[in-house]
Parts: sequence; structure tokens; C-alpha cells
Amino acid sequence: MLTTDKLTYWYTSADQALFKDVDLTFEAGYSYAIVGQSGSGKTTMVSLLAGLDKPRAGRILFADHDIAKIGLAAYRRQDVAIVFQAYNLFTYMSALENLLSAMAITNAAHKGDKDYAKEMLRKLGLSDAQMTKNVQKLSGGQQQRVAIARTMVCDAPLVVADEPTGNLDEDNTDAVIALFQQIAHEQNKCVILVTHEPAVAERCDAVIRLANKRFTWEKTI
Amino acid sequence: MNFAKRAWLNLRFKKGRSALLILVTSAIMLFVLAGLLIRNAAATATQQAKDSVGATLTLSANRDAAFKQMRQSTTSGKPTMPKLTTSPVKLSTAKKIAALNGVASYSATVSTSANAKGFDAIETASASQGFGGKLPGGTTSSSGDITVSGITSTASNANFANGTYKITSGRGLKAADADSQNVVIETNLAKSNHLTVGDTIKLKATTGTKATYTLKVVGIYKAKSSATASAGPGQSDPANTVFTGTTLANTLKGSKYAGTADSVTFNVSTPAKVASVKKAAKTLINTSKYSLNADDASYQMVKTSMKSVTGFANKIVWLVVIAGTIILALIVILMIRERRYEIGVLLSLGESRAKIVAQFFVELFVVLIIGIGVAAAGGKVVGDKLATQIVSAQTTTTTSSQQTGGGAPSGSQGGAPSGQMLGGNTQRRTASMTNPSQKQTQLQTQVTPQVLLVLLAVGLLIIFIAILVGAGGILRLQPKKVLIG
Ligand SMILES: Nc1ncnc2c1ncn2[C@@H]1O[C@H](COP(=O)(O)OP(=O)(O)O)[C@@H](O)[C@H]1O
Ligand SMILES: [Mg+2]
Repeated sequence: MLTTDKLTYWYTSADQALFKDVDLTFEAGYSYAIVGQSGSGKTTMVSLLAGLDKPRAGRILFADHDIAKIGLAAYRRQDVAIVFQAYNLFTYMSALENLLSAMAITNAAHKGDKDYAKEMLRKLGLSDAQMTKNVQKLSGGQQQRVAIARTMVCDAPLVVADEPTGNLDEDNTDAVIALFQQIAHEQNKCVILVTHEPAVAERCDAVIRLANKRFTWEKTI
Repeated sequence: MNFAKRAWLNLRFKKGRSALLILVTSAIMLFVLAGLLIRNAAATATQQAKDSVGATLTLSANRDAAFKQMRQSTTSGKPTMPKLTTSPVKLSTAKKIAALNGVASYSATVSTSANAKGFDAIETASASQGFGGKLPGGTTSSSGDITVSGITSTASNANFANGTYKITSGRGLKAADADSQNVVIETNLAKSNHLTVGDTIKLKATTGTKATYTLKVVGIYKAKSSATASAGPGQSDPANTVFTGTTLANTLKGSKYAGTADSVTFNVSTPAKVASVKKAAKTLINTSKYSLNADDASYQMVKTSMKSVTGFANKIVWLVVIAGTIILALIVILMIRERRYEIGVLLSLGESRAKIVAQFFVELFVVLIIGIGVAAAGGKVVGDKLATQIVSAQTTTTTSSQQTGGGAPSGSQGGAPSGQMLGGNTQRRTASMTNPSQKQTQLQTQVTPQVLLVLLAVGLLIIFIAILVGAGGILRLQPKKVLIG
């Protein structure tokens, strides 16, 4: 589903590349964990996969199409859903409104279906009262669940997450990982998440380690 | 949920910021509207002046041509006394002009003098100094102590029309009095001779057969103090001016003056028609003998005064629009900086930058509509206040400049026989000049749907430019920088 072709990236100069000629393949229906030391370039990699930045060299192919050709904005709108450590919700909306606006922007199949969005939030453990009040009044765990629900109501077959459990306690971490597994296995999407927590990585179907500017498979599907 | 809905949710959630935006926008719109209202009011006032303010054409002897002729005869002929020959205006010609399209009414004036018989004229300081009501120049022989002013009607006479003279008892003269022996006299003359309405007075002609005529007092008028005070030397006291029909005045003046007038003033219905009426009238008269002078001074005065008001209002509009655009653009730039994170989230979801700009536009548009509502409610108050200020500042300047230009004593109307060399020209000027300065132009501001539409257009332009300036921030924003790191 998603393939990197000789992917190379650097910030300041080519001889200080974070990684070079990376070839990776991700399949639908599985969850992948990218692990590695802080500062190794995990976030940089995930932002490339999410279409938030352009590679210095090489290509990213989504369903055999170069995402640069699809157009990064169109790619983000149609093909990929992103979950961040900082939740990245619209702070002036309720949980429900966050879902509805994302569905509208991505032109999801269930666009405008309030009941569908409500049902998804209920599944993720939010009460009707919680989903209609301002999203900033929810706890961190609840906000991250709203962010995940947002990826679930949209149709993007690829879900990319950067440290989605970074701000969560153990119980919430468990719940969130369970949700990602559900997205991969039940919605048959491809989930790629970055984490520095071994416990989180362990529960994913595959694990890739970034070390010494190289990606190596620690666990394969 | 599209960008418009997001805009609405944002405005509703960030109440403080929305209130501030509404406040700023309302203030901008209020002043733009005030400027627009004043501009429109000035245009309306000019139009109304065009429709209602009097414009006149005055037919009188062509003095310039007569002077020229006199000079020629002096140089070519024998060195005798120069003689100025002017032809009085024929009333039959006046009637033809009055029938022209665009002429509303006309008013003829015949000035002469006669001697009081059986009652006493008011004696002034100047009279006792030895001038005795006589005029400088060579025409002393024909002057009496009572100034007789033959007029078509008191209502059409400039001095009565503008309030310099006022009927205090009895009635004024009407068109029907043209051939009558009726007279209207001044209140001081009446008091000193114990005359009241219904009494008769006798006047003795100073020319021809020097016959005596008995006149019936039908009305008494009072001259404003200013008119009485301005009597100069060589002029009899204004209180000695009596008003009669034109026929009687002509009879007193002399047999050759029958059916004539010194001058005839035509009231043209609108200033716009003055030129065409003048053109048509010129074909009816002998221009070497008579001159026809247009006077739309009152219209011109309103027009120039309103022109400067419009200029001022335009300045207000432009200034506020420019200042408002700068202020709003700064606010939008700050707002976009403050909302980088939200823009980053939108971009990460794949929202197009155009729709993000559109969201900001909708937010400002809603603010603008509320601002226009506030302006519509308060615009008239501000507009009226501002208009009063501008007009009063404005009128002071025009009035003072006008006084230096004019300079004719306002009492000279009908004060001297037409043969007089001085003052003949002032007669015409005073008649028309006293009118406009009487009342100050009132600006009537009015909030109409049309002006609100213009305001909306101006407001849209302002927020459009402000967004355009601020949108650079949105278009350049890199979502990765905002969301990660
Ligand atoms: N915008 C940037 N400009 C320059 N260097 C950056 C920038 N973002 C990250 N880096 C550097 O690139 C390296 C990788 O960063 P990052 O991808 O965030 O690592 P990780 O997510 O694995 O902690 C770090 O050394 C970091 O300092
Ligand atoms: Mg990171």
C-alpha cells in the first residue's frame, strides 16, 4: 500500500542526512511501530509519510502513485489520517464538531452523518455530554481518543501517528493501542506509529528500528 | 461542516476577540457611513437648491451701451453737457418674456419721487445737512421728498420676500393693485403723521403738470432696523419710501414713462433653466438698448458651499477607509499568527488554503454585517452632528467672503430714481443677495438601503484587502513546522 523508494532526508546539508536511500513497504491490515532513540529522525520520517514535508531525494508511493504527483494536500485529504502527540484538535469546537469538520474536509463517505460520528465517540468511551462540550474540557486521554475517532470516521486507508501515547498514562495507553489495532485489523487500514515505549511497540504487528541512519526490521508481519 | 460553519463556531467560541473585532469594525463603518451620509445630503441639498432656490433674470436699460454712446457723442460733437439716454423697459416686452417657458413670475419696479402734500416726510440727519433729499449729479430738479416705488406686488418684491420689509397692518399690494391709487407706507411715516390703514394721503408730482394725486393707505410696513440705519447721504430717509402700483408710479414720473418700468425681475422656476430662458428672452429684446442679467447667486452659493462639504465628506470617507484597512489588516495578521496551530491542523487534514482564507473572510464578513448594523443605527446621529459642524464652519467662511464682494447698502432698493448714475447697479445686486444669506443650508442626512449597500461594498473592499494582506501568512505556513516541534 505504501512504499518508500530510496527515500533520503536532511535538514542542513546532504552529508548530514538523517537517513539515506530508505526502501520500506507497508501493507493494509497491519500496524507498524517505528522505534529509535530520541533525535534519530522518527518524526521526520513520519512527517514525510504523512505528506507534511517533501523528501530531499527518493519517492513515496501510495498505491503505486508518487504522492508528490497526487499532490500533498490531496494526499493528506484523501489517503492519510494523522494523529499527533499533542492531539491537534480544533480547540474552539466540541469533540463531535471536530469529527464532523474533519469528515467534511476529507469528503468522507459518512460526511454530515452526526449519528455515525456520535456512535464512534461512544464506542471510544465518550458520553453524549462529553462529546458536545468544548474539546479542551476533556482529559488528555479523552482528547487523544477524539483524535483517533477522527481518523476512524474518515476514509483514509493510511493512519500515521507520532507518539500518540506520549502524553497518556498506562490505562489510556492500553486503550489507545487497542484502538489502533482495531483500526488496522477491523477497518483494514495501514497504521504506522512512532513510539519510544517498548510496551507499545510490542503490541504492533511489525517493528522497525531507526538507528545509525538505517531502518531495520525488528519484527516482521 | 464547511468553512462557513467553522467560521461561525470560531466567532462564537472566541467571544472576547469577536467583540473586539465588532467594536473596531463598527467604528470604521460608523465613520464611513457618516461620511457617505454627509456626501449624499450635500448632493440632495444641491439638487434641492437647483429645484427650489430662486434664480432671477433682470431686464433693465443697457447702461454700458448708453455710456458708450454718451462718450462717443462727447468726443465727436460739441463740448456740451454729456447726456445719458437710457430707455425704460416696456411692460409689454416684460409680459412677453414672462410668458416664456420656465418663467414663474415677474416683478416690475418703477422708482420715482413726489412731494408730500398735507403730511410731512421724515427728516433725517442727512436731509437737515442741506442735501434735502436731493441727489448728487444733475438730476436734482426731479426729486421730491417722498420716494415712490411702483411695484407689481409686495410679495414679488425682494425686500418683502426676504423679510427686510414686513407688512404690520393692512395688506400688501397685489397684481390687482397695478392701476389703483392704493399705497403702502412705512410705519414711522404713518406714526409721525397719525395715519392708519384706510386714511388717504396726497402726493404732488415733481414733473410735467405737477398734478396732485390722492392715494389710499391699504397697508403699513415696517423696515428692519438695518435697512433704516443704512441710509447714506444724498438719499432720503428710507421711511419716506411708499409702495404703489406701477401705473401710478409711472404717472408721477412723467407721461413718457407710461407702460414702462426701470427694471423687471423674472423669477425662473429652477436655476437650471436660467440659461435657456435668457437665450429665448434675448430674441425678444433690443440688446443694444436693454440688458438681461441672470442672477442665480443663491444657487451658486449653495452649490459651492455643498461642493466643499462634499469634498470634506469624501476626505472623511477616504481617511477612514485607509486607516480602517490598515487597522483591520494588522488585526488579521495578528489573528493569523495567533491561529497558526489551527491552520496547521486544517492543513494536516488536507483542507485547501483557499478555504482557510475563505473561513477568515466569512468570520470578518459576519463581523462586518454586525458592524454595518451598528453603523446603521448610529450613523444618522454621528452624520448629523458632523454635518452641523461642517456646515457651520463652512457658512462662516462663505458669508464673510460674500460681504467683502458685495458692499451695497441693503436699503437702496427703490431708493433713487433711475436717472441716478450711482447705485443703479447695486439695486439689482441687493435684491438677489439678501436672499441666500438669510437661511443657512440644512443638511438632511438619511440612512437609505442604497447607502447601506455602498457601505457594504466599502466594508467588503476593506476586509478583502485586509485578508489579502494577512493571507500571506496562511499561504506560506508549513504545517510540519506548526504541528511538530
Ligand atoms: N526543522 C528542523 N531543522 C533542523 N533540524 C531539525 C529540524 N527538525 C528536527 N531537526 C533535527 O533532526 C533530528 C531528528 O529529529 P526528529 O525527527 O524530531 O527526531 P525524533 O522524532 O526521532 O526524536 C534531530 O537531531 C533534530 O534536532
Ligand atoms: Mg519525535
